[in-house]
Amino acid sequence: MPFTAKPRKFSAGIIEIPLGVGQNAVTIGGGNVLPLYYFDNPAKNPPAVGVEITDTGVEAAGLPELAAYYEGANTPAERAKKAAAMEGADFVCLRFEGADPGGLNRSVADCVAIAKEVVEAINKPLVIAGSKNLEKDVELFSACAEVCSDKNVLFLSAREENYKTIGASCALAYGQKVGAESSVDINLAKQLNVLMTQLGVQPQSIVMNLGSAAAGYGFEYVASTMERVKLAALEQNDTMLQMPVITPVASETWSVKESIMPESDMPEWGSLEERGIEMETVTASACLASGCDAVILRHPTSVKAIAALIAALL
Amino acid sequence: MRLFDRVFTGSDEMLARAETAVSKTYEKLGDAAPVAFGSTAYYLPCIYAYLGLKVTNMGELKAAMEPIKALMTRNYRLHDVFTSGIATVLAAEVIEACKYAENPTPYEDRYHGRMTDAEVRELGVPLVTRDIPGFVVIIDEAPTDEQALALIKGYQSRGIFVFLLKGAIDQAERCGIKMGFPVRIVPVGPGIESVAHIISLVVRAAFIFGAVQPGDYDGFNKYSFERIFAFVNAFGPLEHITVGCGAGAIAMGFPVITNDTYDVDVVPKSLIIQENVDDLIDTSLEARDIKIKVSNIDIPIACSSAFEGEIIRKADMYIEADGSRMDCFELVRTKELHEIEDHKIEVIGPELDSFEAGSKINLAILVDVAGKNMQSDFEPVFERKIHNYVNCLEGVMHTGQRDLIRIRVSKTAFEAGFRVKHFGELLYAKMKNDFSQVVDKCQVTLVTDPALLPDLRKEANVAYDKRDDRLRSLTDESVDCFYTCTLCQSFSPSHVCIVTPERLGLCGAVSWLDAKATNELQPNGPCQVVTKTRVIDEHKGAYEDVNEAVRQYSQGALEQVTLYSIMEDPMTSCGCFECICGIEPFSNGVIIVNREYTGTTPVGMTFAELASMTGGGVQTPGFMGHGRHFIASKKFMKAEGGIARIVWMPKALKDMVSERLNATAKELYGIDNFCDMIADETITEDPESLVAFLSEKGHPALEMDPMM
Repeated sequence: MPFTAKPRKFSAGIIEIPLGVGQNAVTIGGGNVLPLYYFDNPAKNPPAVGVEITDTGVEAAGLPELAAYYEGANTPAERAKKAAAMEGADFVCLRFEGADPGGLNRSVADCVAIAKEVVEAINKPLVIAGSKNLEKDVELFSACAEVCSDKNVLFLSAREENYKTIGASCALAYGQKVGAESSVDINLAKQLNVLMTQLGVQPQSIVMNLGSAAAGYGFEYVASTMERVKLAALEQNDTMLQMPVITPVASETWSVKESIMPESDMPEWGSLEERGIEMETVTASACLASGCDAVILRHPTSVKAIAALIAALL
Repeated sequence: MRLFDRVFTGSDEMLARAETAVSKTYEKLGDAAPVAFGSTAYYLPCIYAYLGLKVTNMGELKAAMEPIKALMTRNYRLHDVFTSGIATVLAAEVIEACKYAENPTPYEDRYHGRMTDAEVRELGVPLVTRDIPGFVVIIDEAPTDEQALALIKGYQSRGIFVFLLKGAIDQAERCGIKMGFPVRIVPVGPGIESVAHIISLVVRAAFIFGAVQPGDYDGFNKYSFERIFAFVNAFGPLEHITVGCGAGAIAMGFPVITNDTYDVDVVPKSLIIQENVDDLIDTSLEARDIKIKVSNIDIPIACSSAFEGEIIRKADMYIEADGSRMDCFELVRTKELHEIEDHKIEVIGPELDSFEAGSKINLAILVDVAGKNMQSDFEPVFERKIHNYVNCLEGVMHTGQRDLIRIRVSKTAFEAGFRVKHFGELLYAKMKNDFSQVVDKCQVTLVTDPALLPDLRKEANVAYDKRDDRLRSLTDESVDCFYTCTLCQSFSPSHVCIVTPERLGLCGAVSWLDAKATNELQPNGPCQVVTKTRVIDEHKGAYEDVNEAVRQYSQGALEQVTLYSIMEDPMTSCGCFECICGIEPFSNGVIIVNREYTGTTPVGMTFAELASMTGGGVQTPGFMGHGRHFIASKKFMKAEGGIARIVWMPKALKDMVSERLNATAKELYGIDNFCDMIADETITEDPESLVAFLSEKGHPALEMDPMM
């Protein structure tokens, strides 16, 4: 008996959200099929791949291939340019690692200057990620939203504790996009979206960051949450879960022991950099299979591999 | 003169002044002269907002007078008062625009005048997020300078942004108050017409943060009513022109509170008289529904969950308040708003200094709360939190509840300056912050006077008894809704609890009252209302509404739940259940096992083994997780015949529930001492000897219809 495909298209869909402006804009979301089920309906916008750089640039230490890629780039703006030119890159993510009050504690004014240089330097959309310090990020994002006005930047992320100020100062006052970050729980994700929209932020300005984990570090919770969010959005037409999902993969995977244990301490594990790339690639592909609309990666090899994977499945 | 006429007269006055100003400036500068406030992208913001007109030069300003006049209708309906009020503000903006057309800095340094878009954003963000709880516009002079100083400082200390107009500015200057945008006290202008700059800020906030479109008259009023928490304090004698502007403020949702009584018609929630200037702040905040968050708790010791489990030994304790030896209790009471003075902390009787180290003292903690959304059903929920709050204090221990509390304060805490009054400060702050949706006002009274306590304790017991009666009278039939609880979905994604009065959450921690309070406090949180109007079978507890709810909140994983059955679509479990009941085929009954019991049961499985097939949101007919309290409920597996099916329980569990279970059995079946018929591990763990025991006792389960 011949095989007859029964395409499963949903009448509900994921919201389309453009990042960046003009010719360089990239749109994420917009699908109406299960993750990667492009045989059911062609992808409206393929999942996007972002390249993460930090303001400090220390992430390349001990990783010869990564360091070689950014060789000669001494400022965040120069690194951002190289990141934007990476094969497979759709957007650039600038992470303010150095803004953390527990670390370098770079001042908001200095960060704003960096953000301005970076956004001017690149021809791809920009995502700005914070220091993960709730209070500092509020100040940082508000100030960056102002200097990046008209650039349609995405800020990662607003959380339950600080969504009001970030939502008001980034999305409402300057029309930027805001990431709504929750910790791997569909109800908390939905609640934050509801609260953000009650504040006045349009669903078209919200991208969800459902939280993540490196593969092998409780990723099954992540996969299950992402899957259920997608099903609620498509099958049940839950409008408060139809925002696209972005996952900052790199910051999760490059901090687990597989990606930081030097080869000298663990010779049987092989090359440190290769291990890190594998963790990043495996986690990113699992995120895509679970329903992510955009992933943020660090290593050129991972970016290339994930971009190739997406292209092959289209 | 009636209020309508005062508004209309004031409105006409402002219009006349605007017409004079326009013709004067027009003559002087000509048709093409530019008109702008500068540093704003919204033209003349009020006119742009309410009329949709982009005024950029004198010609256009002159032309704008006609549509402004058209708003000043005179049909003696409320609508005319509102449109005339808005038009008064627009006319005021015309006057201000003329000033700026003639001179870009008409106010020099003394007055702030127009606000820039940057200032709107700077103030707008905290206004939208409520970090600034609201703003007040003070017009004219308070009766005395002292009152003016107390008023402005009072607002400042509560984080309220202050705008001053006219005489209020002169008075503030006399009082030596530092003014300016950074200190959140802004002297706007010497004339009433500069009120336009404040309204300009409001409409630009609506443009920027609310995406309201130019010309959307109702849209701006709706936005300001819903999102901008502003109000006006206007001191008498009120001029007509001020009343005209006040009508505009009221149209935007900003109440006007005045101390003037002459010729003022009170309009509830909108135009309010408060003759006592000292109470102006409270009246104003209440009128605009502004709640102030308490940011610093004024206590000399740390308060954090890190100290929650701290134990104070006898040798280390300074005082002890022990309800089993002395008269001690804690009680939350609902009061009317006017009965409570917010943040009043009163200690009746001696303070800790009067006691010697190691003393046992009497202590009553009375927390009075009031609020528009407060319900007496929330009292026990809030009261139970006192335990957590007090326990978080460093060097203070709290156990028990009601009049069986035991509180110890350590010597270290006493030496650090901790006194009885600090319980008041702590509880005040926590109640106001954690329950801000329902608690508008809170006061705490602490009584240590031994002479007063016996009577107070009796009164408290009356209140506790009343609550218990209410709890007993709460049945699934007597309420009109149930609640969901999805708190555990983070680890048990497809499970939904349906919490009813007679069936609390299976974890034992969420009662129907808890769920009700959670719903009120977190409207988008885990507890959502489930109606019960579409009955399928009331006896089994089957409702179309319940099925819809479990379908929706389990994201389709679960189709239907029968509330009172363990055989037919039993309620699922997350994994936090206190107990599991499971079918025992030999005896035609069920066994119940609690989490603490580690041995085996007559069904041949331990709690852990049973848990593996009951948790995780799956329906396993014949097995169900539940809370301990549910065992004595009349709804416990009612569909299968109720508690008469219970044949075995671990002894500890049986002892815990026996009193209530016996009472229920007596009521339902007329059986005395039903628990004596129920076997436990000291009698048998084996199904055959279980049946023998049951036959000997004449257990009713043996006679009932087969469960399968």
